[in-house]
Amino acid sequence: MNPLSLRGSRDAAWATLWRFLAGIVAALLWLLPAQAGTLGRAGMEKNFPPPLVVGERDDRIPVWPILKQEAGSYEVIAYAFESIDFARIPGFGGTAPNLLIALAPDGTFRDAKVITHHEPVFLEGLGSEPLFAFVEQYVGLSARQPIRVGRPNARAAGAAPATTVDGISMATASTRVINETMLTASLAVAREKLGFGAVNSGLRVEAKPDFEPLTLAELERRGWLKRWRVTPAEVDAAFAGTGLSDPDPGPADEAFADLAIAYLNVPTIGRTILGEAAYARLMREIGPGGHAVMVVSSGRWSPLPEDFVLGSVPDRLTLQQGGLTVNARDAAWERRDLAPDLPAGPWTILKIGDAAGFDPSAPWSLSVKVTRERGQIFPEKVAREIATEYRLPPDLFTREVPDAGPSWIDSWRARGVELGIIAAALALLVPVLSRQEALVARPQAFSLFRLGFLAFTLGFIGWYAQAQLSIVTLVGAARAAFHTGDFGFLLYDPPSLLIWAFVLVTLVIWGRGTFCGWLCPFGALQEFAAWLARPLRIRQITVPPRLDRALRQVKYVGLAAILGAAILGSPLADSLSEIEPFKTSITLYFVRSLPFVLYALGLIVLNLFVYKGFCRYLCPLGASLAVAGRLRLLDWIPRRAECGSPCQLCKVRCRYGAIAPSGRIDYPECFQCMDCVTIIHDPTQCVPQVLAAKRGKRAVLQPVAAE
Amino acid sequence: MSPPSPRLRPVAERRRVLLGGFGALAALAAGPAAFRALAEERGRRAATRAGLAFGTTVSLTLVADGSDRFEPAFRDAFSAIRAVEAAGSLFRPESALSRLNRDGTLATPDPLLLDMLRFALTLAERSGGAFDPTVQPLWTLWSEATAKGERPGPSARAEAVARVGWRHVRVEETGIHFDRPGMGVTLNGLIQGFAADQVMAALKAHGIADAFVDTGEFGASGAHADGSPWRLGLAAHGADAMSDVIAPFTGFAATSGDDATIFSPDRRDHHIFDPATGLSPTALSRVTVTAPSGLLADGLSTAAFVMGAQAGRELVQLYSGCSARFTAKV
Repeated sequence: MNPLSLRGSRDAAWATLWRFLAGIVAALLWLLPAQAGTLGRAGMEKNFPPPLVVGERDDRIPVWPILKQEAGSYEVIAYAFESIDFARIPGFGGTAPNLLIALAPDGTFRDAKVITHHEPVFLEGLGSEPLFAFVEQYVGLSARQPIRVGRPNARAAGAAPATTVDGISMATASTRVINETMLTASLAVAREKLGFGAVNSGLRVEAKPDFEPLTLAELERRGWLKRWRVTPAEVDAAFAGTGLSDPDPGPADEAFADLAIAYLNVPTIGRTILGEAAYARLMREIGPGGHAVMVVSSGRWSPLPEDFVLGSVPDRLTLQQGGLTVNARDAAWERRDLAPDLPAGPWTILKIGDAAGFDPSAPWSLSVKVTRERGQIFPEKVAREIATEYRLPPDLFTREVPDAGPSWIDSWRARGVELGIIAAALALLVPVLSRQEALVARPQAFSLFRLGFLAFTLGFIGWYAQAQLSIVTLVGAARAAFHTGDFGFLLYDPPSLLIWAFVLVTLVIWGRGTFCGWLCPFGALQEFAAWLARPLRIRQITVPPRLDRALRQVKYVGLAAILGAAILGSPLADSLSEIEPFKTSITLYFVRSLPFVLYALGLIVLNLFVYKGFCRYLCPLGASLAVAGRLRLLDWIPRRAECGSPCQLCKVRCRYGAIAPSGRIDYPECFQCMDCVTIIHDPTQCVPQVLAAKRGKRAVLQPVAAE
Repeated sequence: MSPPSPRLRPVAERRRVLLGGFGALAALAAGPAAFRALAEERGRRAATRAGLAFGTTVSLTLVADGSDRFEPAFRDAFSAIRAVEAAGSLFRPESALSRLNRDGTLATPDPLLLDMLRFALTLAERSGGAFDPTVQPLWTLWSEATAKGERPGPSARAEAVARVGWRHVRVEETGIHFDRPGMGVTLNGLIQGFAADQVMAALKAHGIADAFVDTGEFGASGAHADGSPWRLGLAAHGADAMSDVIAPFTGFAATSGDDATIFSPDRRDHHIFDPATGLSPTALSRVTVTAPSGLLADGLSTAAFVMGAQAGRELVQLYSGCSARFTAKV
């Protein structure tokens, strides 16, 4: 049987196999239930046990009100939902994570838990605990703020705690997907239930720098310095029905409370009240995006009692906007900076952080809390709030609505340097591999280049940039193609995507070898292990040719099993993918449970006896590239008529067994190490050339011959 | 009438109006051992389900012989609430009523909307226009002004009052039409009572005779699981204490008060309007009406609030089985 017809029959067998698999897939797809929330009432009640009450599910969207019974009536404390119903963002394994989120009416996360996830790095890798801990960080944060995943320990290192969560090293892509899921799902629910999520998030409103010299009186006339007098009658009205009267009544015509309120960031207001220097100092202190509101109290009753602690959050003053309380804290500012014409009395400058989502161009309200007591010994306190509104003309501000770019753009920006370095390395690799004659001219240099590049592949691409390509990506792609339809997850890992792109191009030109021989960090690791073990003079085990041929097919079986499982939506795909030691050795630096470490080390030891045994026999990624490598356009390894018959030098020297006794190159098994290419171009090594030289003839290098 | 107020005021505020005994007793329904034992002796079980509707919380407490009867009953009861919301809730932009207000006309109206609107127009006639379902323009005026920190002036009020008038709503089986532009209907003055009726009917269809329903207004039938009667506490104004208890409580009760959604801190301006002046009525701070149907209780309490104690009492007396309690404004 000649080689051509052999290949033809193999192709037919593959085609049959694929048709068979596709048939099974089509049949099973009908049986798969649509992905959707899974908890139901029972699951919700388990997560929100008594005294909490799980209310009747909303009839339009799958949201469960979580209520608390208080004094006979129910109060909503949160809206609980499953993220999968609102944001199906495929994770790194291609399957969307499902989170249980409870959003309080003020927009803060009351609860956040992982229901299911298929993130490969956590499954059997880091374990799911770091992921659970990651998600718990959201509790207490507000969904009104765009939240970003920082570096591990970012919060301790000074990142804004209201808008940053600590990332997990080695799981950057997964944590970003979780973050995106959290925020997208929460904003979708907030839009329906809480009246925000459409516009305000990420909005930046800043006072224009324009200054107009005005007097305090003019500020007051315009309402920019608001005088708010609360009359005793208004307070009594607020307490009407309680039977409580003012324990310390003053004259009825005197104001109960008399407040002067001003938003200081606007230069015309701030500089008039504080003076230029103090204004500049205050703006520096509150920082970019911060806000300052002054309250001076001159009435009989003050919202700033004598025991008010500087720098604390005043409990009798509340700033509200859009029905939600704005977090404001005393800035401990000195009175002498305030304009002398302001009324005497206790004062505060309230500092509102960037994270509060405060919009000074929209109206807000300031309320004072008045408390009266009933009874003598254990007095019952009854509190009432009285509010006033403050508003400034919107044209005092610039409003900047952020263009809501998807978060993968951050990934690309953040990894720009890594991308640049990898791109430069790839740009260096291409000419070296293409200019074959140059290899021979300086064999020493080439060998050094190869070692150096492999060190880069292992150290930088693998361990540092975490860009070891993996079968997991294909699993994700298969899941996306057959189930979710969303390939977005690929965008979250820019270095890997860059290498994938490069590999796909080189696959068509040179075949699988460019990746397997040059860009696979685990391959490089094996090569270094073999190189270091050279002094041991370990003898390679010769695998009998028939066994060798059989073993080479194992990787295709593995590949078919993994992709089949992924296409069928089976979680088995994640477990089967563990045949790759990449996660253990590259992603997790061998810091993993013992069986995994032993397996990875075992493969490296195997490599000392059967060179790159894993790559040749087991690697499903290699198998997939070998299959796709059939599209290869070039038979780029030159051959001579003498190759195979009679010369067997290259065949014997090929450490991958990729050259048949006939001299034919088995490209799906070729790792592009360039050994045979070096030999064939070297007149001192290539046997036919040496012989020809002895006979005084020039041997004719035949262009690439048929296989 | 109480048009919606999604942003202005936390929902919990309005719930203080009428609560008291029920809360404590609802807790007992599934609570302390002694009561539970008594209930079990009688072979009775109780279950409560809460939810959100009409922009507030609602809750249903059912008593039945076996716990397997609760789930289908709850399902149909909440479906009844959703159906009422879909017909007449202004909290839902896609409800039949919201569409009517947007377009000024509505073909093939929802039968529940027809029921409520017909009752509203009859009550408008019998109350001499004190109850008027077309005061929605006043709500729009006041809520928009309040959001800007203002109080509408006499000319703005007069303009809005000119767009109020229940006689300009034509209700036919084939469609509802406004005769004038800029009109708007609110059924918030009776929709929660109507929902209580619908829920009670759904429960009856399941053979559940003992139930306590809180749809924002209240309804009760039968008794607790332990055999004791339902009790309804009326909260004292603005405080958590009870001023009065209706016990035993069966039938329906509704309250209109000046402290539900307010436009001024002194509760001079709030969510109930006198259709004649565009201002809130000044005589009363609260009216509670008990009636044989939730629709009657809710509608009458709103009408009586606008009419004041004397005229209000006369109106309530026209309906058999109804009585009213008034709290004067302090």
